[in-house]
Amino acid sequence: MVTNRKFRSAGPPPPATTLVLDNGADTIKAGFVAGGKASEPRIIPNCIARDRHKKLYVGSELERCRDFGEIAFRRPVEKGFIVNWEAQREIWDREFFDDTAPQECDPSETRLILAEQPNSLPALQTHCDQMVFEEFGFASYYRGIGPSFNAYQDVQAVFRTPREPDTPVEIPAEVILLIDSGYSHTTVTPILQGRPLHQAIRRLDVGGKLLTNYLTRLLSIRHFDMRNETYIVNEMKEAVCYVSLDFKGDLEKSWKGTRGERREDYVNGAGVAKDYVLPDSHTRFHGIVREYEPGASSRARKGAVVSTEDVLTLRNERFAVPELLFNPSDIGMRQPGLADLVMQSLSVLPIGLWPGLLANIVVVGGNAKLDNFIQRLQMELLERVPDECVVRVARPADPITSTWQGAANFAMHEHVEQLAVTKREYEEYGAGWVARKFAAGLGVSS
Amino acid sequence: MNNFGVIEIASTTTKSTPGWAYVPDTGPTLPAALQPTNRKRAARNQPALSLSDLSAREETRIRKELEALDRDNPRDLSIPIPPKPGGSGRAQNKHTSNVRKILQSQKTFANHLDDYQAMLALAETNPAAAAAMNAALAKPSTPTTATAKSASPAPTQSPSAAGGSKRSAAAAKRAAAKEKQEQEKERKRPAKQQPPKPDPSPSTQDSPAPPAQPPVQNDGATAADVEMPDAPPATGTNTSTTTTTTTPPATAPQPQPQPQTYPRESLILPPYQKPPPRPHTGDNDPLLVSYVPPFPTDDELRALMTAPPLSYLEARAKWGDGGGEEARYPPRTFCAVCGYWGRVKCMRCGTRCCALDCLTLHGEECVGRFGG
Repeated sequence: MVTNRKFRSAGPPPPATTLVLDNGADTIKAGFVAGGKASEPRIIPNCIARDRHKKLYVGSELERCRDFGEIAFRRPVEKGFIVNWEAQREIWDREFFDDTAPQECDPSETRLILAEQPNSLPALQTHCDQMVFEEFGFASYYRGIGPSFNAYQDVQAVFRTPREPDTPVEIPAEVILLIDSGYSHTTVTPILQGRPLHQAIRRLDVGGKLLTNYLTRLLSIRHFDMRNETYIVNEMKEAVCYVSLDFKGDLEKSWKGTRGERREDYVNGAGVAKDYVLPDSHTRFHGIVREYEPGASSRARKGAVVSTEDVLTLRNERFAVPELLFNPSDIGMRQPGLADLVMQSLSVLPIGLWPGLLANIVVVGGNAKLDNFIQRLQMELLERVPDECVVRVARPADPITSTWQGAANFAMHEHVEQLAVTKREYEEYGAGWVARKFAAGLGVSS
Repeated sequence: MNNFGVIEIASTTTKSTPGWAYVPDTGPTLPAALQPTNRKRAARNQPALSLSDLSAREETRIRKELEALDRDNPRDLSIPIPPKPGGSGRAQNKHTSNVRKILQSQKTFANHLDDYQAMLALAETNPAAAAAMNAALAKPSTPTTATAKSASPAPTQSPSAAGGSKRSAAAAKRAAAKEKQEQEKERKRPAKQQPPKPDPSPSTQDSPAPPAQPPVQNDGATAADVEMPDAPPATGTNTSTTTTTTTPPATAPQPQPQPQTYPRESLILPPYQKPPPRPHTGDNDPLLVSYVPPFPTDDELRALMTAPPLSYLEARAKWGDGGGEEARYPPRTFCAVCGYWGRVKCMRCGTRCCALDCLTLHGEECVGRFGG
């Protein structure tokens, strides 16, 4: 309250509850902060989906869907930014504002903390501010870039830094290099004391969507036509894909060989091959991963076993797909890989900051859940940085909700009072003023 | 070269259809090539697709494939918004004009990006028009409050709307100038930078403004770009204390075990407070001495932390700025059929394959230039 007085002499006290939203392209992470305590975030699919029977599902209604075959999505968020407000409003209405909404709240008595992707377009930011105040009527609002919220948590616990148990936790963290690899793209953001270093933010246009689509293409060339089965392929990607620590070796193991050659590794799978049983949409609605059975496919072809299930044998698809994050040029993209992206980001910063940033690299976002992602990034970075630098790469326990957790901590931090804008201020000074205030950020006091 | 006033526009699409085509006239052609004396087997003697032709086709193919990979759905489809189950919800006629405009907008992100680029270009050529456009974008909320504001007794509040548009014009100008600077910098690195344009609206600062950005932001950004010279460690005592850097630093970046030897009064990143680790016998070993780069000063840090965000396109990582690693290796090629290394090329279409097995498989469906 004291801080509030200081910054806004005549304003009313800030709202007691805060709605914290990480409005991602694939899922919304939403939860409330009230009375200094944060609830558990709910993960809501941010889409309007239509299944093959033309039934529509909005947001969390997708839980009720059982058959995901040929499902199509309409997503209000494109490239990480809210573009289609018609759809976004419908989803928000059903999740937060309707009488029967699962997380009902009254916007006029609530503060909204909204995470957005860095380097947004000014027009989209203005749209967002106008919608929040003029359509939903939130009492108070802050829109900040998602990566910098991650600094508002106990980062050293993520790294398991040895320390005395009673050491006070620094919030925001002094220095971290945050990599956010989400649905639309992957960004690198160096953050000092919770303030992002805007000049060094870099983006790689490879995200989970591109990986899923690439897997779809590979499967459609080699196995079945999966082009309309985005959801099923995405499940498959999450279940079987991994980042290879030895790309050459793994590729060698999964090669069938020249004509007539029967390579040992190819025949027995060599630990790379896996069978994936596709859902048949009668008894099974989700795919199953199985260990590779060397003789199974040939037996099925001979008709020895009458099989009712569709089995895909995945070999180099398992690691060639996530490889795009590290080598986008494999599909002709003219962008550097993730490790080079980090180096490009560092190259605009003074070298004095490198050791601190490299020793505190946090990876969040859905792609961070891929096996070996952290190890591969660390390996590639060690090849590129000076020998003396310590490179530590880690991911939080739940990389998907990490930004939300940080934003929830931010909502309880004193910084929020400096940054949030009330509805009255918006009405008095206009959208341009609000945009400039958010763009200016915290500033540096001393 | 006389090209009869026809200007060729570089296009990324190439059409490969039999018959005739516009071809760029790239130089003087020998009359013999135009009218071959030997008309026998003229079609066969024609040179194959030139390298540039192939690469243009390849580029187009890759671009189309990348666009396909970037889609949410394989097909274009429009999913309508379902009606509310209860039939209730908020009233539909209460929207303000801004909200109505936003809700009815069917623009995609690509449209918005094009708009933004057009605005930047406009700001460069015609600042007044850009200012008007900007003002229209960031219009203050509702007409009622606007009139109330103009009638309000506080005169200091009134210029905020006008100041907003002026300032946003200035911001657009600054962005354009900055982009120009960036481009210039790329072209001639060692050349001196243009000084940033002075902010034309210093008088509007009396309206309640957010924490002001320092006017030296462009200077700060470029200063940060300058690579720090590899200066040797300042003093002899300093070198002897830096051997412990292999232990992971707890919180501070490369904490100095003895802060007093490392003169740093940074208030932004406070120095390492904890006691230094125990001395080791190898501390003074010249072989173990490691180099610690000079830490940036508070001014540098402040300039970095308050610098304005880059635009969407500037933030996209490109090949060849910094890093440098990507320039060293050529792109890898893979078999189009099985995904192994693409070691051989299809003679007809140039697709990569790994070995004969895949090549024959590919050959079955390979469609050459004229379907041959």
